[in-house]
Amino acid sequence: QEAAKYNKKVMVLDFVKPTPLGSSWGLGGTCVNVGCIPKKLMHQAALLGQALEDSRKFGWQLTEEVKHNWLTMTESVQNYIGSLNWGYRVALREKSVAYENAYGEFVGPHTVKATNKRGAEKLYTAERFLIATGERPRYLGIPGDKEYCISSDDLFSLPYCPGKTLVVGASYVALECAGFLAGLGLDVTVMVRSILLRGFDQDMANKIGDYMEGHGISFIRQFVPIKVEQIEEGTPGRLKVTAKSTNGSETIEGEYNTVLLAIGRDACTRTIGLDKVGVKINEKTGKIPVNDEEQTNVPHVYAIGDILEDKLELTPVAIQAGRLLVQRLYAGATRKCDYVNVPTTVFTPLEYGACGYSEEAAAETFGEENIEVYHSNFWPLEWTVPGRDNNKCYAKVICNLQDNERVIGFHVLGPNAGEITQGFAAAMKCGLTKEQLDTTIGIHPVCAEIFTTLTVTKRSGASILQAGC
Amino acid sequence: MAQRLVLQRLLSLTPRTLPSQGPRVLPGRAFSTSVGCRSTFNVQDGSDFQDRVVNNPKPVVVDFHAQWCGPCKILGPRLEKMVAKQEGKVQMAKVDIDDHTDLAIEYEVSAVPTVLAMKNGDVVDKFVGIKDEDQLEAFLKKLIGA
Repeated sequence: QEAAKYNKKVMVLDFVKPTPLGSSWGLGGTCVNVGCIPKKLMHQAALLGQALEDSRKFGWQLTEEVKHNWLTMTESVQNYIGSLNWGYRVALREKSVAYENAYGEFVGPHTVKATNKRGAEKLYTAERFLIATGERPRYLGIPGDKEYCISSDDLFSLPYCPGKTLVVGASYVALECAGFLAGLGLDVTVMVRSILLRGFDQDMANKIGDYMEGHGISFIRQFVPIKVEQIEEGTPGRLKVTAKSTNGSETIEGEYNTVLLAIGRDACTRTIGLDKVGVKINEKTGKIPVNDEEQTNVPHVYAIGDILEDKLELTPVAIQAGRLLVQRLYAGATRKCDYVNVPTTVFTPLEYGACGYSEEAAAETFGEENIEVYHSNFWPLEWTVPGRDNNKCYAKVICNLQDNERVIGFHVLGPNAGEITQGFAAAMKCGLTKEQLDTTIGIHPVCAEIFTTLTVTKRSGASILQAGC
Repeated sequence: MAQRLVLQRLLSLTPRTLPSQGPRVLPGRAFSTSVGCRSTFNVQDGSDFQDRVVNNPKPVVVDFHAQWCGPCKILGPRLEKMVAKQEGKVQMAKVDIDDHTDLAIEYEVSAVPTVLAMKNGDVVDKFVGIKDEDQLEAFLKKLIGA
């Protein structure tokens, strides 16, 4: 759409290869259809369930038992997604961007072949190309995985309640899905090969795991599935999972209605003819290395989004990179995408918002003696009356002692973590220091105000347990 | 919205529920509901739209709707009921914009429900969103009368 603004003739080729179980979706990519949007809506569904329980203490009289209907929720979520798909079609049309629901592949340096779902082929030529093909869930490569397991591609439109679920993986996808499924009342187990949330601050990752475990989600650690068999067909059916320990030869078996694989995502770069145009990819990961202007090794081919090597896999990053790229190409702009201090949020039952360095990365980059970590527990006011979870929410900032105690890492574990983090990300972009944080007056009574009154350092070892306001 | 291939194949096998010949004259009020049934039909494809809407000697209201659209589910039956009341003077074509995106784009549908009033292949009137029965009655009478 950005390029069309500058009167360029633009075409979009979008095609979804169905999952092994036949799931597919409309225009908009992963985020809209099988990612952020349905995920957050289902997370909200789970939070509302909790809110209904809390409401009793606030005087609401629920006369009936509170139950959840999976189909009602999925229908509502899919209806909303449908309206988004249509909205994108209209937007493309209004901006005069040609759109084909066809699978694009390079057949020459400036030529792409588009194959639609009926197999009809068309050829298109262009001066420049932008690859944004994203990723798809990885399968385990064990017997029964493609036949019986589902992935996040299938979960958000599953036409039946998944029932007792085994989630395989420790990614944010795995934990977020496990989180809301349990929040909806399902029996959930998470099978983890080694650590939780690789790449994230491990102190925070462990707190997230502890919270989930404390709320009824079982964790099986240091095991990987080696076989999935079907005991009984059905919607859902019954599956038997055999798993092997990662240290030793112990094997275990378990029975579940659904097995959800969330062990990682693979870039869709291997079957789009990149060899025909000469674009180099990392053979091992499938990712495309680009320079800081999102250009591949072939000058007229660019790439954005999850397929980029060593870049953050986040929707807003891809969108920003794409817009700035087009502005540089066609509007004479020079701004490049800033990949530093990009805020994110993990929507696990206890939400986690972060911006900047993890504690480990900060210690490694600046030296442990050169950073100061301020932290505190906090108890959201809304949780006091229903008597929920004191001393589980947590706030942490990491400061660079060699640079005016500049805030280089921001971490919050608590409700509305995303909303809290957004503002602090802007402050960090302006060079926020600990002193500026301390001289900012807090808003009371909200969770975020804790960041204006952090005094205890990790180094001191002092207690951060809270008693109450 | 997400689809499953099996379901799609099933839908494409669903036979047409209405005959493609022109309307027959029916005696008496006992058959008023079947007149309503035949006054309303689902458009199957582009050429079906040409035959039964564009080339229809009678005026046709075209209801562009979508499965994911809540208000469409309210307007649809309401419009069908008001069309049936017009005793065959107007017909109603239903177009699912996800199944027939080309048609929806051709007629510049942005939001749903969008209802077009068509006479002799031309769009003579249109509205977007929900209307109540009285408003629909006026809309239809204007189409028939004009």
